[in-house]
Amino acid sequence: MTEYLIRRVLQSVLVIFLITILTFLLIHAAPGGPTQVMLSPGLTPEIFEQQAKNLGLDQPIPVQYVRWIGDLLQGDLGYTFKNHIAVSDLLWPRIGNTVILMGSAWLVSLLIAIPWGIYNSTKVYGLSDQTASFISYLGFAMPTFWFGILLQQWLSLKLDWFPLSDMYTRGKEGDIGDLFMHLVLPITVLALGFLASYMKYARASMLEVLDQDYIRTARAKGVKERKVVFRHALRNALIPIITILGLDLPILVGGAALTENVFNWPGMGRWFVEMAGAREYSALMAVTIVTAVIVVIGNLLADILYAVVDPRVKLGKQGGKTA
Amino acid sequence: MAKKRKWWSGLLVLSLVGVLFTGCSTNNTASSPTNAPAATAAPAESAAPDATEAPAADGPVDGGTLVTSTFSDIVNLNPLLINDTSSGDVAQFVFAKLYNLDREGNVQAEDWSLAAELPEISEDGLSYTVKLKDTPKWSDGQPITADDVIYTIETGKNPETGSPLISQYDKVKTVEKIDDHTVKFTLSQIYAPFLYALVQEIVPAHILKDVKPTEIQTNAYGTDPAKTVTSGPWKWTAWKQGESHTLDADPNYWGTVKPHIAQIVYKIYADQNTEVQAIMKGDTDHISAIPVTQVEAVKADGDIDIIQKPGAQYEYVMFNFDGKNFPDSYGLFAGQKTRQAIAHALNRQGMVDNILKGVGALMNAPFLPDTWADPGDAAVNYDYNAETAKKLLAEDGWVADAKDGILTKDGHRFSFELQYNAGNSRREQVAAVIQQNLKDVGIEVTPKAIDFAAWIDQNVTPGKFQALLLAWSLNTPDPDAESIFSSKYFPPAGQNSGWYKNEKLDQLWVDGYSTVDQAERKEIYKEVGKEISTDLPYVFLYQYGQAIGTGPRVHWAEEDAPEPSLGYGQFFHAIKWWVTD
Repeated sequence: MTEYLIRRVLQSVLVIFLITILTFLLIHAAPGGPTQVMLSPGLTPEIFEQQAKNLGLDQPIPVQYVRWIGDLLQGDLGYTFKNHIAVSDLLWPRIGNTVILMGSAWLVSLLIAIPWGIYNSTKVYGLSDQTASFISYLGFAMPTFWFGILLQQWLSLKLDWFPLSDMYTRGKEGDIGDLFMHLVLPITVLALGFLASYMKYARASMLEVLDQDYIRTARAKGVKERKVVFRHALRNALIPIITILGLDLPILVGGAALTENVFNWPGMGRWFVEMAGAREYSALMAVTIVTAVIVVIGNLLADILYAVVDPRVKLGKQGGKTA
Repeated sequence: MAKKRKWWSGLLVLSLVGVLFTGCSTNNTASSPTNAPAATAAPAESAAPDATEAPAADGPVDGGTLVTSTFSDIVNLNPLLINDTSSGDVAQFVFAKLYNLDREGNVQAEDWSLAAELPEISEDGLSYTVKLKDTPKWSDGQPITADDVIYTIETGKNPETGSPLISQYDKVKTVEKIDDHTVKFTLSQIYAPFLYALVQEIVPAHILKDVKPTEIQTNAYGTDPAKTVTSGPWKWTAWKQGESHTLDADPNYWGTVKPHIAQIVYKIYADQNTEVQAIMKGDTDHISAIPVTQVEAVKADGDIDIIQKPGAQYEYVMFNFDGKNFPDSYGLFAGQKTRQAIAHALNRQGMVDNILKGVGALMNAPFLPDTWADPGDAAVNYDYNAETAKKLLAEDGWVADAKDGILTKDGHRFSFELQYNAGNSRREQVAAVIQQNLKDVGIEVTPKAIDFAAWIDQNVTPGKFQALLLAWSLNTPDPDAESIFSSKYFPPAGQNSGWYKNEKLDQLWVDGYSTVDQAERKEIYKEVGKEISTDLPYVFLYQYGQAIGTGPRVHWAEEDAPEPSLGYGQFFHAIKWWVTD
């Protein structure tokens, strides 16, 4: 297990390193540099050149890369071109805000989706299952920003039950109750989306397992249905669900740009889109690194959880899953 | 180069649709650069007709917080580097200028201006002597003196700084200190628009004088509120990046007129839609741009006062005169009659009525309607008439193809690409109308939307395109536009992106700024209007504007109402506004 972990981590470091090179090349290849976005387009090329020089953008891309990665190894994520603000000062608060929003939406949806999906797998096409299907369709079909605007119009502007947007009311920064009120609408929007897919996965995965021979054997032996479902079926059914959850982990930090826009949530998704438009290379690289790391961790966690829920899975050199 | 900065305005409307519909793609955000639009002289009687609707309650009260908002954060508050609308907005509150504009766009020494009186201009028109008040102080208590003014101009002019002010002061030969409160500018040539270059914020020499010009940009002055010494009625207390700025009334403000509002919160929303929702909810009190499509909904809300009037910006279709941009190097727009035909073929009034919902005015020359330089009837007006258009095209040698009806000449099809910036919903609609209108006369147009940064970089600045749909924001009320129409300013060093050359006009522009006599200038610009509307380097479309919205908490006397025709006019005389709860 330990050896396996070390191997995985080393692999991951290499992958992340390659990702940074690729991303660095790609974002520098995008037409229009930071100065084009900072300055009004009507100015002379000399001003653009001078500003680029003042910002170190006149150096060849490999030089810029080496400089960037050198700083990174010392824990420095660089500065924005626009206003020379440390990227880490901008990045971490936003990741925090996004984790609060996405994490709560994710938890809420898991707590509803998994039990409900399992229940529905035992009563296929029952009323509950039909309702769940309908909600899933809604979740899949409705554009999130549109659902968000709908909720705002109705629950905030019309009924005034919840705040319209932002994370806190002005002057109440840090107040948990206020934060909770601000979370309700965006969580509803996001959770609906998560719910739709998790419920389907849980149900489908259970159904597949419940059809297996060993379940039939268990039932034939006279094991109680409850025990069949929870002891025999669930553990196996959880494996694909864990895979999905592991893969979804980056969303928790990556954020949801559209939802964050509609609710004016100061999170990562919105920030990333903004930084991309401004060609803020350091900020974009920082997001790439963080996301890459989370993807790797997510996969690793999923693999470890397999071993926990399914004793047949052995993580190791031979014969094990190294996915 | 540029005598006067005229800025491509693309991003104001860009954010909303761009962000919403492209999601996480890396394009299309309106981040920083926009224009600092500015003033144009508008007749007094048309000023802010809706302003009186803001109830004047029982006279001003002191205190309270005004929340105003926008949809992109500032870049840098250092006046040497301010080059985007949001930074310019905040600067209105925290910095005093040498001179200010009045509602008609005239340069004035107001109570809150640093200068004591209008500049003394020498007989030969080459030197301007500016007398400062002796009361102004920086927020750290230091006096504002001639040294600050000289430092600002010299650092702005220094190419190493990379300051956008360089173009504004390129005709300044010397700036001299006469005494602590008197500065003399000497120009290298007579240049009438220079007066407007004096409507300018000043930076504190005592803070910045030891910073190398190349390091001004990365210096904390302008990005760290604690290190940014200011000179205006409010000071910059806090900046939460991407969220809000807090400006508090400066208790030591030097002016005789003190602000009523104790605190201004400048909030940043994700996009215009979110902002409009916020003003309807009462989360913000003042927004500068309500999208045309939402104005009706906001009006229906009832609580929001809307000021809607065309501003200092106009839209146009630019032709490219460089044949290299066309197949076989055959310039499609070479014929004057062809260009005139296109002008006739476009239903400009229809665009104003249907797309701008009436908030716009047709233009035939690059001068805003109702300003002193407006040539009026001297400019040729092209009415919407497909028959006239077809006739002119036929006279110019275009013949309809037997198969699909598209015009051809010497074996070349009249088919071109019309570029505009992606995400701008107004331009998207206008481009569609242009496509349809020109199809009616046998011209094939392919509208193409491109990400703003990429577009400016690869097409607009180098002058590589066939035709463009774009706008200019005028940042001073002066009519001079040499830098965008003269053949002295070809790409990539200049803003004449369409490679337009007209020797008569080249000379007229020079004549226009080489005298300070307004009556004389008016005659010259009339001639410019006549020539440019006949020759048509652009089809001038219309002057347009953004709707300003204010909530019920904000009040002003009628003479202090926002003035859309001025740059930053949405905050006109904010020092005299007040808020109630």
